[in-house]
Amino acid sequence: MSWDITGLGALASIGSGPEEIFTALCDGQEGLDTLRAFDLSRYRAHHAYEIDDRAQPGRDEPFRATRWLRAAIDQALRDAGLDGGPSQYPMLVGTTLREQRSVELWWRDGVPLDSADLYFGPALRAWFGTPWTYTFANACAATLYTLGMAGDLIDLGLADTVVVAGTDAITESAFGTLDRVQNDTPDALRPFDNGRRGMLMGEGAVAAVLQRRGTGSVPARARVRAVSMNCDASHPTAPTALTISWAIRDAHRRAGLGPADIDVVMLHGSGTQLNDVAEATALSGVFADADAAPLMTAIKSMTGHTLGGSGLLSLVMAVLSLRHGVVPPIVGLTDPISQAEGFRLVRDRPAHADLRTAQVNAFGFGGINAVAVLERAS
Amino acid sequence: MSGPAAVITGVGLTLPDSVGDVTDLFDVSASERGLFDREAGLRGRGMRHKDRASRLALRAARSALGDAGLLDAETFTGPAERTAVVVSSNLGNLDSVCSFVDIIARETVTGLSPLGLPHTSSNAVAGWVAIQYGLRGPNVTVCNGSTGGLDALFWARTLVAARRSDVAVVVGTEPDTEPVARLLRQQDSGPAFDGAVAVVVESAEHARHRGVRARGVLAGYARARDLSAAITAARGLDPRPVQLLDAETFTTRFGYCCGALGVLQCAAGATRLGRDDIDAVLATIGTAAGAEAAAALLLARAEGVA
Repeated sequence: MSWDITGLGALASIGSGPEEIFTALCDGQEGLDTLRAFDLSRYRAHHAYEIDDRAQPGRDEPFRATRWLRAAIDQALRDAGLDGGPSQYPMLVGTTLREQRSVELWWRDGVPLDSADLYFGPALRAWFGTPWTYTFANACAATLYTLGMAGDLIDLGLADTVVVAGTDAITESAFGTLDRVQNDTPDALRPFDNGRRGMLMGEGAVAAVLQRRGTGSVPARARVRAVSMNCDASHPTAPTALTISWAIRDAHRRAGLGPADIDVVMLHGSGTQLNDVAEATALSGVFADADAAPLMTAIKSMTGHTLGGSGLLSLVMAVLSLRHGVVPPIVGLTDPISQAEGFRLVRDRPAHADLRTAQVNAFGFGGINAVAVLERAS
Repeated sequence: MSGPAAVITGVGLTLPDSVGDVTDLFDVSASERGLFDREAGLRGRGMRHKDRASRLALRAARSALGDAGLLDAETFTGPAERTAVVVSSNLGNLDSVCSFVDIIARETVTGLSPLGLPHTSSNAVAGWVAIQYGLRGPNVTVCNGSTGGLDALFWARTLVAARRSDVAVVVGTEPDTEPVARLLRQQDSGPAFDGAVAVVVESAEHARHRGVRARGVLAGYARARDLSAAITAARGLDPRPVQLLDAETFTTRFGYCCGALGVLQCAAGATRLGRDDIDAVLATIGTAAGAEAAAALLLARAEGVA
């Protein structure tokens, strides 16, 4: 079983479309800046990778996550030649924080809010016409989970076309609690580097149109070979290398590929002490026997951690890597962690290679893991 | 839908004490109803440092797993790697979000407890249920408004049909907390539910191998722009007469059930199938017109399901 990706859409701190973001990544351009709307005196960490779109600088506004979601889906539908007229496609949205930023502004500042604003269905229905929508709060593995579940809908004969999307705006409660628990105060997200000091959040939205093979009206941009999903079931926030390795092996098995067949890995690479060690440990086990080690990169070094959408954003960038034969570098990587010894981590400048397959990792709170395998459209 | 059929093999309720006798809606034992000493059951071992939505959910999940014959004392005896968790909740972590914002404003982030971190993400409940029983299959949190409970059952069925899981624990949980009370007061939605309900969904084949009774089979589901379209699509070509389980029956009794509603309806339906010659029940949520979509779920007697 495999599914065609026929449309892409994305917004992030470093660009307002997939190609723009990919170019920025290849140029090593970061979206890092000082927090734009939070009171700095309340936090130890002062940096994030925000989308700079508030009408009044410094003054926050509700429903930014919903706004970006619409823009990303619009782009993806247009890219797939499916724009114009109401759509009846299922839309599966993955998110970590839903519209919790709007909840905070409601609770503290009295911005109007209804319980139907907490999820994205009513807004998607108003814009795109489809009542067949789902919001999944699957933490930072959310959009790869939704990608797999979208594929299941196609395999089970329930749909030929499914829109998969994700969005997250930074909340004070999540940013603040992360700030509280991190021993160090990072001023940048530095995946897989010994000098990393923790995770910093980013903002963004992303969308992809998934279609039954050969049913799209435009050529496939790439093909999803498989998506695996599981749960550590051991700790609410700390990852487990063993179960991550199971998810990777399961994705390979479902794709009918071995580790040696993978050309590039888009790392989860969140820059926390625990994630990067667990992810590297899992990968070194899986790829230990591979003849040719895959190239590896981590786009969070430039976009920040875009939370629920981060897995699909990595996947959309992987589609462009396969198309262009270019892998963006990990910005700021100078001293790789020992667990990543022997990895072909892309550094300093983009790597050029003939790429046929990509693996995408996404892990989240609750110990949930999802891994996707992509192949270049022939 | 192609793939293996999905049946219901367990039901568990954690209802507010105030609802009184519910045997007209749920044909379950006292332990499954969780009616004895509920608040005590929300404290103690395994309940510390968890938000109210999670504690309610854990209680309901335990009852449902016990009902399904998947617990030996507190230990899960089913296939852990092939058991999914699907949680529906919309209001579950609003108390964490709002209280953390207040603390930050008052004391800066140094006033926050590190133990609050899991609850900033809307999927904390599903994580706690997985951890409690070591469930390593797909772990899914549906935050899909009023229809979320029915949607969660659909996705549990889909995980089984796609052969990603043999068992799925479906939980609907909505707590009555300060932010929830304020929100519902502002939008005139009536009192909050403050409860949880769990249903064990299982592949029919797996249930048969274990030799457990299937209470019902998930036979149809649809989302649509209005209720009548959802009902027509969910029933499909199934000729059986159905007993309707409409949303109002439950919200009148239990308050604004929100994401727990659909799971409550399904639990009620599952315990009533086979009684009084009821062959099929249809759970419905939605209206003729509204911002939120409508959904319907058909649950039928499981006799003869392969």
